[in-house]
Amino acid sequence: MAAGGTGGKTYSFKVVLLGEGCVGKTSLVLRYCENKFNDKHITTLQASFLTKKLNITGKRVNLAIWDTAGQERFHALGPIYYRDSNGAVLVYDITDEDSFQKVKNWVKELRKMLGNDICLCIVGNKIDLDKDRHVSVEDAESYAESVGAKHYHTSAKLNKGIEELFLDLCKRMMETAQAEERLKGNGASQSASSRRGVQIVDDEPQATPAGGCCSSG
Amino acid sequence: MATADSGAKPLQIAMKMAKLAIQLDGENKHKEAYCEYLRTINFISHALLEEAGSQNDGDVVAVEVGRMLRLAEQCLERVKSFIGKRADPPDLSASVSAPFSSSAGQSEQNHTTVLTDTDANPVTAPSSDTPVDKGRKSTSPTNTGHCRMLSDGTGELSSFLPPEVFQRLQTVQSQDISKKELTPIEEASRLNQKLKANYEARLARLRPGQAYQKTSLTLSLQRQMMENLIIAKAREDALQRKMEERRLRLQEEANRRFSASGAEEQEQRILYTNVLEYEQDHDWPKLWKANMKKSPDDVTLVSGLVSYLLSRADHPVVKLLRKHQYRVYNRLYPIVSKGLLQSPPCLLTPPRSTHPTHPEKKMTRGSSIGGQSFCTASSLSPLLSHNHSTNYDDEEGEELHSQAMVDRENSFEDLEQFMTQLDWAPLHSSTEDSEVTCDPSMQPEQDEGSIQELEMRALTEHLKAVVKDIHIAIDQLLSLCLLSFECLNTANSKDLCLASIEEAFFTPLWSALVALFRRVYREREQAFETSMKLYQDVSPGDVGVPSKLFPDDSDAQQGSYPYESAVQELKLLLKDCCPQRKLECIVRTLRLICACAEDYRCLHEVDSTPKTAAIGADDLLPILSFVALRCQCPQLVSECAALEEFIHEGYLIGEEGYCLTSMQSALAYVESLQPGQLPAHKLV
Repeated sequence: MAAGGTGGKTYSFKVVLLGEGCVGKTSLVLRYCENKFNDKHITTLQASFLTKKLNITGKRVNLAIWDTAGQERFHALGPIYYRDSNGAVLVYDITDEDSFQKVKNWVKELRKMLGNDICLCIVGNKIDLDKDRHVSVEDAESYAESVGAKHYHTSAKLNKGIEELFLDLCKRMMETAQAEERLKGNGASQSASSRRGVQIVDDEPQATPAGGCCSSG
Repeated sequence: MATADSGAKPLQIAMKMAKLAIQLDGENKHKEAYCEYLRTINFISHALLEEAGSQNDGDVVAVEVGRMLRLAEQCLERVKSFIGKRADPPDLSASVSAPFSSSAGQSEQNHTTVLTDTDANPVTAPSSDTPVDKGRKSTSPTNTGHCRMLSDGTGELSSFLPPEVFQRLQTVQSQDISKKELTPIEEASRLNQKLKANYEARLARLRPGQAYQKTSLTLSLQRQMMENLIIAKAREDALQRKMEERRLRLQEEANRRFSASGAEEQEQRILYTNVLEYEQDHDWPKLWKANMKKSPDDVTLVSGLVSYLLSRADHPVVKLLRKHQYRVYNRLYPIVSKGLLQSPPCLLTPPRSTHPTHPEKKMTRGSSIGGQSFCTASSLSPLLSHNHSTNYDDEEGEELHSQAMVDRENSFEDLEQFMTQLDWAPLHSSTEDSEVTCDPSMQPEQDEGSIQELEMRALTEHLKAVVKDIHIAIDQLLSLCLLSFECLNTANSKDLCLASIEEAFFTPLWSALVALFRRVYREREQAFETSMKLYQDVSPGDVGVPSKLFPDDSDAQQGSYPYESAVQELKLLLKDCCPQRKLECIVRTLRLICACAEDYRCLHEVDSTPKTAAIGADDLLPILSFVALRCQCPQLVSECAALEEFIHEGYLIGEEGYCLTSMQSALAYVESLQPGQLPAHKLV
């Protein structure tokens, strides 16, 4: 029952996707889930709810990506969306200062609700429009650092930086989960499945999706 | 092993047929199940006849023949139980087709009416029996009426059965008559009765002079009877000893399994002993276990086993299920029934609102919801009209005042009763305080407010306790199920097992359960209802759906409206009685929304590449809010709140969890709508 044991483990992670209306979060996540393999990852709920199976350093990861509505009027119910999330991807548009402010608000709320258990990614999207940039790289990165988040630059249009973003996020979520397991004591590994979506299931081996994601060990 | 193969074929076919029958049985398709059982028996007798004709290696198949006969016996038993059920008043076929249900639904405490399908009791708009309905086999109306006994909790007076009737129905529902064996003593006394009758007959034939024979006959009879009884006693003692030994042995076995001690384990141990005991007396668990071993991955076998298990009324799992159901129902009944009988719809609200001086008010309210035969309107509007009626207070002065006095007294009585029911002692003293200060000069509003607050607190606590009880009950049932059939203890089978248990558990309870939820969530339902009345005719654009995602007005004039299919689907949610089914219904609704949105977008961008974007949450939530508004069921608020309590952890982060969360978000948005916030398209 060593924490580093191979096989037999499947991590299930919930990731919420936050961002104002036009920052391109839908395209971002569609890119991520559509690009690899085939479009069977796209559920019948289209881009609102997506799942993806990964294999990272020999461990299976099931990712459930929850899109949230950017409109202010639906924010009252934000907390029930974030509940039990392992990660959050907060997207802003680098040409829109306002959307970056919104990200800051969400970060505050997430930290308030979920403490440090959640892995935050702040994502400046639309870097293909760098000439119209209104949020400086330094500002964004120093802000991210100050709140314990990681910052990424992406372009859904050019399919840049997206794969890295999610892979990195998954690794961080796995680290958090493993740390949590260790904290609970290795004997009671089942209890990890109780609340926070980290499930350890001994299911039958399945065809691992072409190991494109296991780039770095 | 070849021997097994040679004889297995007819048996396997018979087993398969029986499995189908059991499945149908489990789905409450009684008529089909009945036919299928008969078919199985028919097949078995046919197969045996054929075999008897061409007997080659008799002793090999003997085992199979025995098993087939046993199977036939079991089928026959089920068939018999159907016949028994048909003779009973709550006839299924009548309840499904009953055209009189809506009027009959008014009369009270009658099994037949309660069991009667309350379809006509308007849970949904009349248009709900559209093709969508027919397409959904799993929730087809062939379910027993029992499951429908008023999905609308606060509707008619007739809705809730007293717990004793509930319990009786539980046993009637799946009564499989297990023939009771006679004990040795009973057997002996029967034998002796026969002997005595014989003796009397012979005595009668004797001529008067044969006194000697008479005495000898009498003596021999006495001797025989005595002997019989002594033998019987000895047999009974031996049997008792054996049973005792067996019980001890099984208990030890159970003890070995649960080495830890504690009250909970103790209980489990007893239950497990019961299971072992049951298995000594019945063969079917062994048969199923053997079958499961042969093909462990057979999903139909798993569900067949579980539904068969749940159909055996004398199995410890089913007994435990009954016990828990009854306990939960008993906790629900005092509250949900009381509210209905005494001061509808609100437990402690003085029924001033129903005062006969506002008939016009009621009329207009009735008509404002148009032709919608919509259940909760009746239950909620009295309370709304109560708020309105405060304007009339001055005009009606005296009369109303005295009325309020009486009502207040009543409500205190109610409250006290209510408190004792809930065993909610700590606040009792404060109740008395307010009773003391209750004099005519007191502000009625304040008074009522505090009572309502107390009531709400009590209700919320009660709800929490009931939910906890249900979780514990289901956990216990599942673990006993897995103990009884270890073969079910794989991730997949466990899920199936849990789903079946939940369906069996919730189906008869849901209406009462949701009635309690509706009490607790009344305010939210009222807010929803208000928004719904204000904005039931808005266009998708008004709630923020982008114009490319719904057809132009010109297209939509033919009596239908955008996303109608999703609305119809969502309305069906109220008809299901099991959380899992309801969740599936929400998922289907959201999928339909996505499909509709896709279609509408294609209408708009005929030439441009359609793959520009897919529906994200930014589009989904406004559409879902529109659908919720159009659905016109405030009860959805309570249903979703209940679903949140009972959704499985595993589903929480999956599609089901996402859909439920989105649904709740949309409902909350609808509740939050204020007058004037959206352009209202009221029909004049």
